[in-house]
Amino acid sequence: MSIKKEKSPFEIWSHELTKIYGKGKEALEAVSEIDLRVKPGIHGFLGPNGAGKTTTISMLVGAISITKGTAKVRENKAGTVKAKQIIGFLPQDPVFYADMSGEEYLIYMGQLGGLQKQEARIKAQELLDYFDLFEFRKKEIGTYSGGMKQKVGIAGALIHDPKVLILDEPTANLDPLGRADVIKKIISLSDRVSVFVSSHILSEIEQMCEDVTMIDQGKIVISDTIRNIKKGYISNLFILDTNMNEKFLKQLKDKEYVTTIRIDEIDGKIHIIPKNSDKLREILPQMLVKNKAILYSFHQPELSLQDIFMEIMSKKEGT
Amino acid sequence: MMEKNKLSIMDKLKINVEKLNKRVIKPTKTWLSKNIFKRTTIIIKKTFHDIYSSKKIIIMIIFMLFLPLIYSFGGAGVDFGLISPYHAATVISIALVFPIFFWSLGLAYTIFIGVSGAPLISDEVKSGTMLLLISKPISRIKIFLGKYIGVFLYGMLLSFISIFVIGWIGVLFQSGNIDHFVSLIPFLTALYLYSLFILFLFTSITLALSSIFEKSRNASLGILLIVIFSYLAFMIIRQIAGENYAMFQLYHFDLGYHLGNVFILFIESLDAIPPSTSWQLLFGMLTGVYSTDSPIDPDQNINLGGYEKTNYYLPISSLLIWLLIAILLLAYGIISLKKREISV
Repeated sequence: MSIKKEKSPFEIWSHELTKIYGKGKEALEAVSEIDLRVKPGIHGFLGPNGAGKTTTISMLVGAISITKGTAKVRENKAGTVKAKQIIGFLPQDPVFYADMSGEEYLIYMGQLGGLQKQEARIKAQELLDYFDLFEFRKKEIGTYSGGMKQKVGIAGALIHDPKVLILDEPTANLDPLGRADVIKKIISLSDRVSVFVSSHILSEIEQMCEDVTMIDQGKIVISDTIRNIKKGYISNLFILDTNMNEKFLKQLKDKEYVTTIRIDEIDGKIHIIPKNSDKLREILPQMLVKNKAILYSFHQPELSLQDIFMEIMSKKEGT
Repeated sequence: MMEKNKLSIMDKLKINVEKLNKRVIKPTKTWLSKNIFKRTTIIIKKTFHDIYSSKKIIIMIIFMLFLPLIYSFGGAGVDFGLISPYHAATVISIALVFPIFFWSLGLAYTIFIGVSGAPLISDEVKSGTMLLLISKPISRIKIFLGKYIGVFLYGMLLSFISIFVIGWIGVLFQSGNIDHFVSLIPFLTALYLYSLFILFLFTSITLALSSIFEKSRNASLGILLIVIFSYLAFMIIRQIAGENYAMFQLYHFDLGYHLGNVFILFIESLDAIPPSTSWQLLFGMLTGVYSTDSPIDPDQNINLGGYEKTNYYLPISSLLIWLLIAILLLAYGIISLKKREISV
């Protein structure tokens, strides 16, 4: 009886992936023993500038060597031609052959990806249409706007039908409209390919991804679904809104179970950080009844990914 | 019919995409042609397209023709009506040997190879387009070889046209008899074979330097220094060193000598120019291939058949050594690109 090798459920997998630049005293560890587990779908790769996102991606696509550890793309060793057949890659700030038209560039990329010229032409036109660039297909890429370049770059990464799309900061240097457009396209692409997208703009990642990996100083800080991450970081902030906010502020101000209390200048609501949240929950209904106040809302706001990341970072710095 | 004509470009595209999606991928005809060369051919075409422009090639050819043209205008002082086509071809060849070896296939050709090839890897890495290339399913070896072959094909075309035109100019301006061109073919063939050797060697040097250096300017400068060192610097060193040149075996490092030796190998193998004192003396002084001792027997006052070769190296040895060096440089260039960190 033959034992069938179990297929890895991960699109990208790494074990102790490390990159060290230089040697001896001048050695710099840019990425340190990271274990990536990227499942099908859109996976965000987050971190501040200089965290090691681009270095990690460069190792995955074979642009730079791996100092230690291993990385695989759908069970193929990262950097090999087999792995690159599966990958579509858009670098941060992609540079194109400025004298080529969008269509020529895509045909060239398609042929390098293994397509016949005619196949590449048809595929290029399909992608140009998909990315709303069809009418600009004969124009030189040098004349394209930032958003158009980014889209033609993603099209170039997709032309050989990869299974995994790796995008390094695809919305950097784009205006808000361009960003929204590129994000929309990335989301719609997730039906066709798995996407591994890096960004330092966390709100964008939150819009696109279900799973994220956060990295800082070359090390993974957290890796999970956004939902699970948020579950683990429940806010201690309570927001109260009634028809008599000023009165409630005065009454709650000196209570021992309240740490800080203020009326927010923007929303006009009472922001309370309690020492004892159960006590606050217990007292508040009684106060409302006693004052015959109308309750508009009382809730704990959900933390954004940005807030969580900041909290993780501040805890890290604290330790 | 009308409906069909009314199809917009987008409708046609949709039909094509449907066809593409339905296509049955047939097994490749031959593994070798489809898999080994297919993607390399794409790089070759792109490289050739990048460095080729008819304007550029015309300028280069004019530059390469410059010195042979001046020498051809000078004339040989021979009445071509009185000599056989073979002797006419010999006279024309002798007039062209020096300008072709030192200028057309020496300084001009090698510098053109250097200038055309130097940016191919270093500029592509520096600008960031190499990152797009290496992210595609093509090995770095194929990228390197694609660029190498692209430059090589361009060089082959350049030298073929130049040598052909030089032959015509030589015939037209010296003898004026077009029939003499046929007799000149062995000489032109020898020149072309030598140009292929030069092309192989200097393309290897250029692309190896382009793989190593971050700036194409440095790679071009490297080529320029090698050219000056081999054609000009050693010419002076040889004269100044005198007997010390042979005593200290400086010929080991004298690329100009080896190139001259290989040139003579092709000339002799194809019997392109018979031994003659008039060109061997000059060639010997400038390359060190021939001894400058007179070949005239002082006792009997007869020409012993041209100047003797110095034979520091056998011509075939020079050829093989420098072919080996070219192959090693080619391998070194490939390894350099393979190991190079292509930063994003």
